[in-house]
Amino acid sequence: MEGMAVGRPPAIEVDGLCMDYGPFRAVDGVSFQVAAGEIYGLLGPNGAGKTTTVEILEGHRRRTAGRVRVLGFDPCHGGRRFRERVGIVLQSGGNDAELSVREMVSLYASFYANPLSVTDVITQVGLAGKQRARTRTLSGGQLRRLDLALALVGKPDLIFLDEPTTGFDPNARRDAWQMISELRRSGTTILLTSHYLDEVQQLADRVGVMSHGHLVEESTPAALGGRDLAGTVITFDLPPSFTAGDLPAGPWDQAMPGGQVSMHTDEPTEVLLALTQWAAGHELELPGLTVVRPTLEEVYLRIIGRETVGGARVG
Amino acid sequence: MVPVSAELAHRSRPVPRLVLGQARYQLLLLTRSPLGFLLTLVLPLLLLVSLNVITPGGASTAPAGLPYAQFLTPAVSAFCLLNAAYVTTITSVVHAREEGVLKRLRGTPLPAWTYLAGRFTAALVTSAISIAIIVGVAVVFFKVHLVWHAFGYFVLAGLLGIVSFFLVAAAVSVLVSKTETALPVAFGTMLPLAFISDVFFSSRKGPHWLHDLASVFPVAPVARAMEAAFNPATTAWPMPVTGLISVLCWTAAGAAVIVLAFRWDPGPFRFRPRHHPH
Repeated sequence: MEGMAVGRPPAIEVDGLCMDYGPFRAVDGVSFQVAAGEIYGLLGPNGAGKTTTVEILEGHRRRTAGRVRVLGFDPCHGGRRFRERVGIVLQSGGNDAELSVREMVSLYASFYANPLSVTDVITQVGLAGKQRARTRTLSGGQLRRLDLALALVGKPDLIFLDEPTTGFDPNARRDAWQMISELRRSGTTILLTSHYLDEVQQLADRVGVMSHGHLVEESTPAALGGRDLAGTVITFDLPPSFTAGDLPAGPWDQAMPGGQVSMHTDEPTEVLLALTQWAAGHELELPGLTVVRPTLEEVYLRIIGRETVGGARVG
Repeated sequence: MVPVSAELAHRSRPVPRLVLGQARYQLLLLTRSPLGFLLTLVLPLLLLVSLNVITPGGASTAPAGLPYAQFLTPAVSAFCLLNAAYVTTITSVVHAREEGVLKRLRGTPLPAWTYLAGRFTAALVTSAISIAIIVGVAVVFFKVHLVWHAFGYFVLAGLLGIVSFFLVAAAVSVLVSKTETALPVAFGTMLPLAFISDVFFSSRKGPHWLHDLASVFPVAPVARAMEAAFNPATTAWPMPVTGLISVLCWTAAGAAVIVLAFRWDPGPFRFRPRHHPH
């Protein structure tokens, strides 16, 4: 959390946010805060209410109930002074096909009193070689870079990044991560939504998971869903002529005879010591030996699965 | 990259510059749109030339003693206004909204009304250019005479028309949900009105009820006033009070729809009463 500013008021404050579409409640009592300079990742499956939440924070939608403050403004009524301080990367679209990259960025720069240099922004997002190209000729990844340039050019204090690297190849994603990390270092607050959990793990200081309109988990990526306290999983292929019952520090789980064995443990060092001593004593290799903690994706899917199966909010 | 957090550093861009920037942006888009070029210049020119040259009976429909070209030139000028302010506005606003351009603009400090003001200014500029070309061609090739003592009426009626057509078009764009239906809706509403509103032929020999029906809509009062301004016999403001009331009512209705329901987000139109959070 290197860019976070201690003592500054939160950049985003959401308290009891509700949003109804007719009889359907899309967002139901969501509360969270994002500190100034923090990168906050909002996760959730389609229909969880995260886009609605983000659009309310951006000022695109009027909420049904609840209190929302973004940079001290109510986004509904913040007007130009609010919009001059935020940058928005929408989920899709919004480019004039017949304008060039440079014309688009220049146009958006003209909305701000103190914009960044158009050339610098285009270079920063890696479109220097495409600045005279019409936007209709750009690839999906290049269009997302242009989206990012349009959000950055006004020198915002807060950026909303909605699926910012969708359509990027792996190299372009790494470049975008680098750029977002630089923004963090400069103290810019970022609200990030993404379907890529590795992206959230890499970039976010804290993560909120939404499901069925509720914020069901909130933590750091490392601790989400008790991930930091969850046991380590040790797995290996059982050598021939041995059974799971022969292994030390058991009991070990075995899905099928002669196959892979595994164990969830809170004391991986002790178990591994016993296991490797046992293997050395029998002059054995342990093929396929892995020692892993649950990934963010596993924890996320468990949370979402629990919400979907249970159909009820988890406190 | 240094974030600007101090309020003072965020002084707003002057609004007139934003409007001019938007107008320039819209004109740039128009110059790169074959449809815009066709609608605002090629089509009116084709009409002027073809109706003058190919239609031998046209003269019989012109007001008594007036050469057909003297009637047709201001009539086609009104057609230019309809294309620049009505058809182009509907098609381009719907396209921009459905492509997400308006939603993206709404997230910037650009005030909402300056977007529409920029579009209006662009419509005004394109109308002025196309009308100047039409009138120039008519004067040089069809011996049309400018009636200088009534030329102010021509300009004033044209301005009234462009404001009215633009606001009505922006209001109609609210109801159109798909880019591909924008052009049919625009032409489907404009062309029948143009035919009964003296834009191609004078309706003075047609049935009275059709003449009266056309007067209810804003096109006929504007077109007839512009045409009268090319008649040397005109010595006073040529739009009847009922026509002026009709134009003003349509203008006010268009403005009201824009204020209450103009949409920045793509998708089908749904009327939602505005509610404020508690």
